[in-house]
Amino acid sequence: MILPLVLALTLQGAAAPARDVQDGKKLFEGMCARCHGIDGTGDEGPALNRASLAHAATEDALREVIRDGIPDRGMPRVRRLTESELTQLVAYVTSLGRAAATTSRGDAGRGRAVYTRLGCASCHIVDGQGGSFGPELTQIGVQRGAGYLKQSVIGPAEVLPRGLSLVPGRGFSEYLPVQIVTATGQTIRGVRINEDPFTIQVRDTANQFHSFRKSELKSVEKEFGKSLMPAFRGRVSDVELDDLVAYLATLRGVK
Amino acid sequence: MKARTIVLPLLLALPALASAQVTAERIASADREPSNWLTYSGNYQSHRFSPLTQIDRANVARLKPAWVYQVRRTGIVETSPIVADGVMYITEPPSTVTALDARSGRPLWTYTPAIPTDVIVIGSPPVNRGVAILVDTVFFGTIHGHLIALDAKSGAVRWDTTVDDNKLGHYLTNAPLALADRIIVGVSGAEAGIRGFLDAYDPKTGKRVWRTYTVPGPGEPGFDTWGGDSWKNGGGSSWLTGSYDPALNLVYWGTGNPGPDWNGDVRPGDNLYTCALLALNPADGRIKWHFQFTPHDVHDWDSNEIPILFDATVGGRQRRLVAMANRNAFYYVLDRETGEFISGTPYAKQTWADGLDAKGRPRLKPGMDPSTEGTLVFPNIQGASNWPSPSYSPLTKMFYQPAREMGTYYYKGESKYLPGEPFVAGGGRAVNGDDAWGAVRALDAVTGALKWEFKLLSPPWTGLLTTAGGLVFGGTEEGNFFALDADNGKPLWDLQLGGAVKANPIAFAVDGKQYIAIAAGYALFVFGL
Repeated sequence: MILPLVLALTLQGAAAPARDVQDGKKLFEGMCARCHGIDGTGDEGPALNRASLAHAATEDALREVIRDGIPDRGMPRVRRLTESELTQLVAYVTSLGRAAATTSRGDAGRGRAVYTRLGCASCHIVDGQGGSFGPELTQIGVQRGAGYLKQSVIGPAEVLPRGLSLVPGRGFSEYLPVQIVTATGQTIRGVRINEDPFTIQVRDTANQFHSFRKSELKSVEKEFGKSLMPAFRGRVSDVELDDLVAYLATLRGVK
Repeated sequence: MKARTIVLPLLLALPALASAQVTAERIASADREPSNWLTYSGNYQSHRFSPLTQIDRANVARLKPAWVYQVRRTGIVETSPIVADGVMYITEPPSTVTALDARSGRPLWTYTPAIPTDVIVIGSPPVNRGVAILVDTVFFGTIHGHLIALDAKSGAVRWDTTVDDNKLGHYLTNAPLALADRIIVGVSGAEAGIRGFLDAYDPKTGKRVWRTYTVPGPGEPGFDTWGGDSWKNGGGSSWLTGSYDPALNLVYWGTGNPGPDWNGDVRPGDNLYTCALLALNPADGRIKWHFQFTPHDVHDWDSNEIPILFDATVGGRQRRLVAMANRNAFYYVLDRETGEFISGTPYAKQTWADGLDAKGRPRLKPGMDPSTEGTLVFPNIQGASNWPSPSYSPLTKMFYQPAREMGTYYYKGESKYLPGEPFVAGGGRAVNGDDAWGAVRALDAVTGALKWEFKLLSPPWTGLLTTAGGLVFGGTEEGNFFALDADNGKPLWDLQLGGAVKANPIAFAVDGKQYIAIAAGYALFVFGL
């Protein structure tokens, strides 16, 4: 019974041949990187290192977008690509920002219990359940590899990712801790939700939303390189950590 | 008989309409009729300055929307409107022209050419930055490489000329420049490996009068600055509107990057006239002088930025000057009669040059070229400046620049030229959003010395307008449109428009009432008191 299941999983999660990904990278750097950035990290064009792409949810859709472009948005159609070159490009773009389903040393079942015990759900939503102060983790197993997940549990401030979400957008740090002092001297600590030169929007540590005009504030301090998530270094055993990461890796948004 | 009584008032009205023709003389004296905005940058000197004074420091806080026009299809709206005698002419993405009643915002006509579905646009989004008007005709370029003349009253096509083959990647986004009997227009396409040029057309017939290649061919001066056959795909696009000095009868036009962008190995030499400013005779297109800002560019630092013409005393002598805040982060002042380099100073962070030598040539720092492992250089690929317009106020004598503060890891790749395909050879890895920022900077126009700055959260894609009301108008990537005090940069008014502001503001007046216009998101906003 176990064997067919493993086979099925392998086929379903079949990563494209490494050769295709490599060749696709070369094509990407010759034609696409000017707008989408090297490694798809985004530049004038959107970042492509996300688990799912707005205009290309499936590999077929991605193939279509590369071939036909998105004229309104400035994405040109790419002509003269052979079918195999298209396949290589799709393989490479699909590999960006997508962690392969990895086997972990840990036990996902026990990891789920660790997740509960540490109170992760007070700040993170998984499958609709949990608090919303921190990032949703429903698809975190697709978005992040095991190494990164491990590091972000023991020392989240050390591995703050380049922002990928559409708000605030354009690579701004997400969940950036800010400390705000109002004109009346009230101090508010929380995370930045959005900002422009004239205003800032934050959620405080009680997850309450605040909106300010900067000219009416005494100070706005942005705490780059910090995270409001506690570091669990020394607070979980190596085994618990492996178990927790194994559980997180199973969160792939598909039930 | 009844018919006659109707005809009479019509006839009486006709002379008024006939006089409403936009002659080149009117454009050359644009400052004398500030109700109108007759050419891309407001006047031939490209000041983007309005002499209107109704909206000023004291009352700008009361500025509110007068009308809003939504474009017909989504895309980036980079248009800079033209206003002539109560009618506003805008462009919508990708290549549509619409005439609006400047009083109400109601459309009068709209024209969209048939754009082939396999149109090739490589190097920028499919945008359009505006039209030119001359006499009774509106001129604009299209992303399929055409220059089209429309009847200003009806939008009917007067003529439609193919500038060059779009299959090879030629396309047009710039507003043409209308002179007495020349429509000057540039071309985009360096990222597809075109050989750049600047063209002039007969406004009446659409026949090409001259073409001046920005990359010299065999036997022409400057040809020896290209290795091998590299000149054939040398780039040097002319994709943004230039300026004109009627007294010297010279057109000033910037040129873009050489191709391929980030791997210069295939094109050894200075690569003239890429990344340069050209002064040309509009009669025949002859280059009177050139000044190359970035010889052998490998960072994609086009020099298409708006050249601003002004006169000032330098070293005790009255000089005719041209200034450009270049994409490479230096602010240059040249003598516009001779092209002589006068000064060049950084106006934004740059890490690639140890200043400029006595002739204005950059002293390169070693190790700043793109590499396979990535080289961090400031400014970034889109540069310290780009197409968003600067502004010059003859009142404050300051040069106002939307400055972009950002670095990029530059990567070098390989590119083989294939007609109509990207020819770029590399790319960049942008720094994080919070590590990039911008500012509105006011520079002493002669020295380039910083007088004040107003900080922005992101590197801006909005041009600036100054007015005789003592104001600077600008915008942000986050959707703010704002007014600053032109003397000191103090913010006086701002409004969230709900979409990134990637356009140039203008001012005009109808019925004695002043308005400010700016595109943002998918709309054009017009503000008044």
